[in-house]
Amino acid sequence: MISTHFKIGIRNVLKNKGFFILNAGGLIIGLTSVILISLWVHSELSFNKELTNYNTIASVMQNRTFAGEIETNIGQAMQLAPELRSQYESHFKHIVTATRRNDYEITYNKNIVVVDGRFAEPGLTHLLDLKMIKGSKDALLDISSVLISESTSKSIFGDRDPIGKTLKLNSSLEMKVAGVYKDLPENSNFKKLNFIAPWERLKTSQNYEGRLGWGNRWFQVFVQLNEGSTLGSVSGLIKNVVKTNNSKDPGNPELFLFPISKWHLYSEFENGISTGGKVESVKIFSIIGIFILLLACINFINLTTANALKRGKEVGVRKTLGSTRKQLIFQFFTESFLLILFSFCIALALAFILLPQFNTITLKDVSVPFDTWPFWLASLSLIVITAVLSSLYPSVYLSSFRPVKALKGVNDNNKSPLVLRKTLIVTQFVISSVLIIGTLTIVSQINHVKDRPIGFDKDLLVSVPINNDKVLQSFESIQNELLASIHIDQVTASDVKVTSTYTTNGGFDWNGKDPNFEEEFYTIRATLGFGEMIDWEILEGRDFSQEFASDSLAFLVNETAVKYMNLENPIGEFINWGGDENYKIIGVVKDMVTLSPFDPIVPTLYVLHQGDYLNYINIKIASNTDNVEAAMNTIESVFHKYNPENLFTYTFLDDEYQENFIAEKRTAKLVGIFSIVAIFISCLGVLGLSIYMAVQRKKEIGIRKVLGASVKSIWQLLSKQFIVLVIISLLIAMPIGYYLSSQWLLEYSYRIDINFWIFALAGGITIGITIVTVSFQAIKAAIANPVDSLKTE
Amino acid sequence: MTNTLLSLNEATRTVNSGSNKVTLLDNIDLQVKEGEFISLMGPSGSGKSTLLNCIGMLDSFTGGGYTFLGEPVHSMKERNRSKLYKEYIGFVFQAYHLIDELNVWENIETPLLYKNVKSSERKALVADMLDRFSIVGKKDLFPQQLSGGQQQLVGIARALIGRPKLILADEPTGNLNSKQSTEIMELFSQLNKEGVTIIQATHSEKNASYGSRIINLLDGKVVS
Repeated sequence: MISTHFKIGIRNVLKNKGFFILNAGGLIIGLTSVILISLWVHSELSFNKELTNYNTIASVMQNRTFAGEIETNIGQAMQLAPELRSQYESHFKHIVTATRRNDYEITYNKNIVVVDGRFAEPGLTHLLDLKMIKGSKDALLDISSVLISESTSKSIFGDRDPIGKTLKLNSSLEMKVAGVYKDLPENSNFKKLNFIAPWERLKTSQNYEGRLGWGNRWFQVFVQLNEGSTLGSVSGLIKNVVKTNNSKDPGNPELFLFPISKWHLYSEFENGISTGGKVESVKIFSIIGIFILLLACINFINLTTANALKRGKEVGVRKTLGSTRKQLIFQFFTESFLLILFSFCIALALAFILLPQFNTITLKDVSVPFDTWPFWLASLSLIVITAVLSSLYPSVYLSSFRPVKALKGVNDNNKSPLVLRKTLIVTQFVISSVLIIGTLTIVSQINHVKDRPIGFDKDLLVSVPINNDKVLQSFESIQNELLASIHIDQVTASDVKVTSTYTTNGGFDWNGKDPNFEEEFYTIRATLGFGEMIDWEILEGRDFSQEFASDSLAFLVNETAVKYMNLENPIGEFINWGGDENYKIIGVVKDMVTLSPFDPIVPTLYVLHQGDYLNYINIKIASNTDNVEAAMNTIESVFHKYNPENLFTYTFLDDEYQENFIAEKRTAKLVGIFSIVAIFISCLGVLGLSIYMAVQRKKEIGIRKVLGASVKSIWQLLSKQFIVLVIISLLIAMPIGYYLSSQWLLEYSYRIDINFWIFALAGGITIGITIVTVSFQAIKAAIANPVDSLKTE
Repeated sequence: MTNTLLSLNEATRTVNSGSNKVTLLDNIDLQVKEGEFISLMGPSGSGKSTLLNCIGMLDSFTGGGYTFLGEPVHSMKERNRSKLYKEYIGFVFQAYHLIDELNVWENIETPLLYKNVKSSERKALVADMLDRFSIVGKKDLFPQQLSGGQQQLVGIARALIGRPKLILADEPTGNLNSKQSTEIMELFSQLNKEGVTIIQATHSEKNASYGSRIINLLDGKVVS
């Protein structure tokens, strides 16, 4: 019996190729999108899961309250881990201090490679359950040793044995390779952990012991819980450790454990509460995936039921030959199932082909896990779900025809399928319109933020990191040599890049400050001329100047800081910093965007500074030069002269600024692509339905033409009802789109108001595409010779 | 050969058309014995097709009694009814109603599939039937590649393949020319002689004359 169904199915396909292409095409495009989205979602959800100790690893985080807002940070003092070890050892298997992720230059035989790595206590190797290829996990106990990853070993040593070779880290620390470990999983926070060096070594070489206190939260603390200890209870135990040990610490610091399962997807905190993070995208795209699958299924239902007229006769004949309804349902279901199976195979192949492009958009390295059984199980579920959603109703509907009527060729005695088809079309367009509104919102939000005045001139500004003390000490010589070039206008040094500040400070006091107010300011330290270089705008007072020796104890503050401190006449006011030094406010600077342009402006203090703490040399290339390359060559040669050991690296601040948009642009691109997919599938549905209607009304159209109807009036006749459907869809979609878009925008403090034009444009696009799709068929029907259509009756 | 195949007792069929009740069949009494060849005659709309459909259990009477092989069809459930007609009744249509996507062989085979006949037996039965109707050479052709007469031949072969006791033919020659008509009617008489009971609806007196009994219908009533 199945073989007959198969045969009938194939012959039907060959007979109705157009119908098949519409039907399978919609399914294939839909399923391809669903497969790609599912692979991505799966990869996001399984982040870090390949790590052996996934269930017990956590990092210690800290909540502190400033100006009534709780801030959550991962940075910890180096005193924390020893304290936890001495007090709460029994709850932990490992407690590990490690440096934050950072790039290092590793030199071997004058070859330099830049890799990401950490200094860490020896426990990290057990916590991460490193798989050693050579050497031992415990080699870090010898503080002159270093462990490197397999890929790093390959890139430095090729096939030679690295054990015992001496590497130089950042051209200062010499360490002996004592072991090689297998690269950590790609889909994890540790994928780039390319070397682990002993924390003790860093501590002694940098003389941290004497210098750093509880206030220097420069490190991270990873823990692995003991069996039987729960996250919640241990979090409760360690909550006050910082407070107890450093009662003067501002902001009421409270510790808690943040499990590895949340690092990736729930990394954002607002006022001390985890508010999600990447999980939002996972949700958005899961919903989009479900919608697209729904669209493809709706298409299938629409086209199959529209084609019922053709299949009706067969149903009648089969019933008179003794087929039961069940057998017919089975037959139609088998046919649909085969079509869906076929579409799935094509979709899988397409997804496989498109995956590299998809990966470049999502910045992931997802592959199709052909060799795992869950993948095939998921595929099977997808096929079954699609089959049930899309072919259950048509099968039941087709098999319900009364044989006598079906044989006579009348089966639309009940209007329900037409009403259903219209409802489904409306659903499709609601989904597509919502996606279009979403895309337009995201795009206009990005453009809005891009147009945000940033308050300074980032063009032709280059930042070069200061790699070592030698460079720092020769800053003035470097400055003079650079300024000698006609390509270069200005040279200053600062502690942060002005497009991405991160240094915050507390411990300030000023006139009229509420004693309970826990303040936190962003600070930017820079050499003379920094403001002029970035072309900031001074609203009141003056810039730092060589003429005032007292300017070493002066602040320039931004507008937000003035409001933050609630000062009416800021100029001349004194701010006490750290108890002993009084700084005078000499100027107010117009607010500048020094963090992400999506975020609000932060209160910022500018300090004139020399020497220590300066991390970047900033260079303004002459705006009248048309030879940026020559300027860069000059800069490189100067740096090479003063710092021959290190690689010359630099950033254009303009590029750095653009990086703020990467995540949003990616979302826009993906939502855009899937909106197009959605619209396309919906159009296939409309096309199918309009073909059906044109066939059904062939005779009517013929008669109308004979009676003198123009092509235009027939086109209107056939298109009108679709336009009505689309308008209904838009009316439903607009409030939904408005709601979802405003929810998304809430994440951004600097955001657009959703404008009427977004809806107008979304409506225009949807109606336009529908008219084109419908007209295709309507005009064909309208220009057909009426003699032909009447003769066939 | 005097067993009663079916009997109708004041069988009535009404439909609701809007708010009006329209009577299609009005108190029909009819006895059909095995081996009869009955011709239903009457103008368009007199109820011939409705009567055939109701007898064939594709449609049902709305009143009165219908007994088939001693079983009360009027009080049967849908499932048993379809079992009954699957077993004993074959249909032949004016428009042939072959399945376009199936070739001659497959069309004839279809009823056997629904009766769960084994593959080897199906092959034998279909081959016999093709042989008997001399259409072996056409077994791989599709309906649209056959002439009307040939299509109707396949239709009859398909109706006969399940060895029914009763064949219901609704204007079987309505779409055929006179030569083809004669051939089909000859075939029906031949089958009747072999013991198959036939009820046909027809407009043509000539065709009706092949039957052993003629029943005239007018406005849903038996007039003679």
